[in-house]
Amino acid sequence: MNALMIKGLLFAAVLIAATIYVVKSMNIDLSDPINIITIIGAIAIAGLTVGVAIKYINQMKTDTSGGKLADENWDGIGEYLNELPSGWAYSWLGTAIWAMWYMISGYPVNAFSQIGQYNEEVKAYNTKFEAVHKNADTATLQQMGESIFLVQCAPCHGTTGDGLSGKAHDFTTRMSKAQVLDVIEKGSNQLGYPMGAMPPMMATGQDAEDIAAYVAGGMKGEQPAAFAACASCHGADGKGMNGMAANIADYDEALITNVVKNGKKGALGTMPAFHDRMTPVQIKALATYIKTLKG
Amino acid sequence: MFHWLEKNPFFFAVGVFLVIAFAGLIEILPNFAEASRPVVGLKPYTVLELAGKEVYKKDACIACHSQLIRPFKAETDRYGQYSLSGEYAYDRPFLWGSKRTGPDLHRIGNYRTTDWHENHMWDPKSVVPESIMPAYKHQFTNIADLETAYAEAVTVKKVFNTPYDTPNGVKLGTWDEAKAAALDEAKKITADMKNQNVKDAVAAGNIPEIVALIAYLNRLK
Repeated sequence: MNALMIKGLLFAAVLIAATIYVVKSMNIDLSDPINIITIIGAIAIAGLTVGVAIKYINQMKTDTSGGKLADENWDGIGEYLNELPSGWAYSWLGTAIWAMWYMISGYPVNAFSQIGQYNEEVKAYNTKFEAVHKNADTATLQQMGESIFLVQCAPCHGTTGDGLSGKAHDFTTRMSKAQVLDVIEKGSNQLGYPMGAMPPMMATGQDAEDIAAYVAGGMKGEQPAAFAACASCHGADGKGMNGMAANIADYDEALITNVVKNGKKGALGTMPAFHDRMTPVQIKALATYIKTLKG
Repeated sequence: MFHWLEKNPFFFAVGVFLVIAFAGLIEILPNFAEASRPVVGLKPYTVLELAGKEVYKKDACIACHSQLIRPFKAETDRYGQYSLSGEYAYDRPFLWGSKRTGPDLHRIGNYRTTDWHENHMWDPKSVVPESIMPAYKHQFTNIADLETAYAEAVTVKKVFNTPYDTPNGVKLGTWDEAKAAALDEAKKITADMKNQNVKDAVAAGNIPEIVALIAYLNRLK
């Protein structure tokens, strides 16, 4: 062991000691593996620094020139004939092969595209979303429906769904008298129910008033005789005969789906269609939530 | 042949610049031209919509609202399909904005309606309780500047060849025709509105700024 080696080892020891001193004085949490790895890295760098320095200092001290000189010299400056280092040669060949792959198939096929990344992201998310919520229970759907409602519906219907004092439909009741009268007067052919269009003026005058009061009152009490005209499509109980016509007694999934899909122009104003902004699961969730708003 | 270039660093630099600039141009320009072409079905703004766009600029909506939906799921969920550059082909200037104190408005016409805008511009808190947007009541009394909007439309038609007066397209015509068309359009909008002063003004032939702005917002789809 020569003097240089001893000096080197001493220097390495000082570096390592300094590292440990800093770690101690900074109270670094050693239970965190990332800190341990960092310290090991610091010690390794100290060791490598000393090792590499010793190698080259030794080489400068002891190496003599050798090997065969090339025939050419440039104003007295000569050049040794050295073999091409194999690492360089392999790197060069590898680069050439990679470049060919990149030009022929890598770049045109695998070029980065922001839209492509977006499409993949959305597809992956939707697949996962469908898988997770395929058989979602009512509580989950209700929770999901509430957040959808707050983002998509609340700006018009209000955060509590009360329609902001008549600015939009009030979900705490099924329909107001004015809304029923409006539908009776104008008919309706916008929601795409299998039963088809509801013609205007199915009832007039006092009959219409009676029906409106009965429907707006939550279908309680004695049914007015004129309601027979409504019952032929909406059912005697007003529930729309299992999705054949609109449910005028309660909110159900068919009603919410049809309104979200087609939008609606009614007594209070126009609602745009929202179907391309929600997935089927989300519409179902929204329906589950809206059902809970009616007392 | 090029030996003299090697001895003249300045002209060599100029030569290098020219070569790289030329390569850059043939790489960039065709894509640029392609992407800025109007998307299929895009129509130029009507005079009323242009007047509304002027209101949008004048009242500095752009200071808080953007009109550019980026292709990220979080944005497309909330605002709709991401924006394409061809959709702004007739925007002079485009109103992308860079600040979102309020939400993006590029597709507001898909999910808000005339009556909502009326309530919202009169008193934003009446529809969005947590809103920090100020009310814009002056838009209900100020009269929209149709003359400037018409002049703008005529200018872009002449200078940039914006396709007005094409079959099945947007008709511009003479100033009187354009004014009558704008008034018709305004009447359709006020049919959905409640403010009696606005309805009266339109019936009398004056179009308040709010009507023009709603025409513009409804067109953003």
